[in-house]
Order: sequence, then structure tokens, then C-alpha cells
Amino acid sequence: MIEADIYKALGDPIRLEIIKRLTRGSPYTITELSDNLGISRQGARKQIQVLVSSNLVQLKPQGRETQVILDTATLQIARKFIAKLESQWELRLHALKRLTEDKTQN
Amino acid sequence: MQDVIQREIIIHATKERIYDSIANPELVVLWFPETLEGDYMVGEQTIFGFGEHGKTSVYIADAKPYEYFSYRWVPGSQHFVGDVLSVANTLVEFRIEELADNCCKVTLTESGFNHLPREFMEASFQQNSGGWEFMIARLGDYFTANK
Repeated sequence: MIEADIYKALGDPIRLEIIKRLTRGSPYTITELSDNLGISRQGARKQIQVLVSSNLVQLKPQGRETQVILDTATLQIARKFIAKLESQWELRLHALKRLTEDKTQN
Repeated sequence: MQDVIQREIIIHATKERIYDSIANPELVVLWFPETLEGDYMVGEQTIFGFGEHGKTSVYIADAKPYEYFSYRWVPGSQHFVGDVLSVANTLVEFRIEELADNCCKVTLTESGFNHLPREFMEASFQQNSGGWEFMIARLGDYFTANK
């Protein structure tokens, strides 16, 4: 489940703090985002990478820095796409059931 | 993002009958694509036809009579005809498990969504996609035909 991925990604106080900062609006660079997190820069980078893997944030190179952008659009699109395919499969499997359980055929 | 779709259904039929309905080209067109072109065999690429909604190439990946059948395709309404293995695709797997006499659990798994580019998923919505409506129409036909 996508929701599970989101919760998993957010199920860490540091990552949650990163997302909270990003939701305030202004774009952050990795360096700015890593400030005052109470962990090493390396550690912060790792946590940001987890958020990237979950498609919660995107990284955008800007000059010598990298910007971190909250990416809710990707999540929504992916969720809609998957939900649609799921309902299609639901229908197809029911069609398969109707066909194979039908005693008048075969 | 979510990489896998999984759906299960209990069907009161033999595993042979269910398997045939999935793997036999003459039966699969009764519930899934409307038409089928080419060899519906492991290692071959077949084209599923969905009437006016287009055609989609399908690469048959594996078939183990009465319990497993799988293929690769490009999901969604971005109907792709060509070499499926040359583009981002998903693996569709059907597993049939016999629970009791004349009763099976069919598990459908589609995986590989993580490989699909975002633009692709976006396009799938912008296009007036007919997959859903098509299935409803097909189901309707089926019910009417069996009344």
C-alpha cells in the first residue's frame, strides 16, 4: 500500500521533522534542511534519501546545491493509477469467476 | 510507491477449468480481451484486442498447467503494441490454489509499477481511458448472454 509506504517513511521523528519543514512552503536545500536536526549531515542525507525513495520528496540540482521539494503530486498520481488498475482487476476476476462457475458452459 | 497489486478471489470450479479459462486462447477471450492475435504460448508475444479501445502486446512469460500463468505487458490505457520487453512493463501472474473439491483460490499479482515513469502514469489519466468502461460493457454483455 502506498499509505503504508508514507507512514513508514514518516514513522521516524527526523523524517517527520524534515517533512514538516518542507510543508512550510519555501524550498530548502539539502544543507539548510540538515541544519538543527540533531544528527550528522551524513545522517540527514540518508533520511532524505528514504523520503526520495518513497516519492515523498524530489531532489533538484541547483548550481552546487541540491533543492529538496515536497512531491505530493507524484503520490496522488501513483495512487490514482494503482487504484484504477486494482478495480479493473477486481472486475476481470469476477468475470473469470462468472465464466468458470457457469454450469451451462463447457 | 506501491510496486505490487494483489487480488484474490474464490472460485467454485476445478483448477483445470480455471487454468484453461486463463491459458486457452479460445477461452480467455470470453472474459478478458475481446480478441487475441498470434501464438498464446510461453516466450511468444500475443496481441490482446479490446475492441475500439485498442490493442496491447502481451509477452507470455510462464505457464505451469493448472496452477500458474504469467505475462508481461504495459498496464493502463496507454495501449502499447510492439516488443513489450523493450519498454517498462509489469508482470501479471495468476496463481491457482485448490482449497477443496471444486473450489480454488485465484491470486492475481501485478508487479513492477516502480519502473513505470511518472509521465506514463499521468498520460494514462489524461487520455480518455476506456479500459474501465470497456470492462463494464463486457460484463454487461456477459450477463445478458447468460440470461
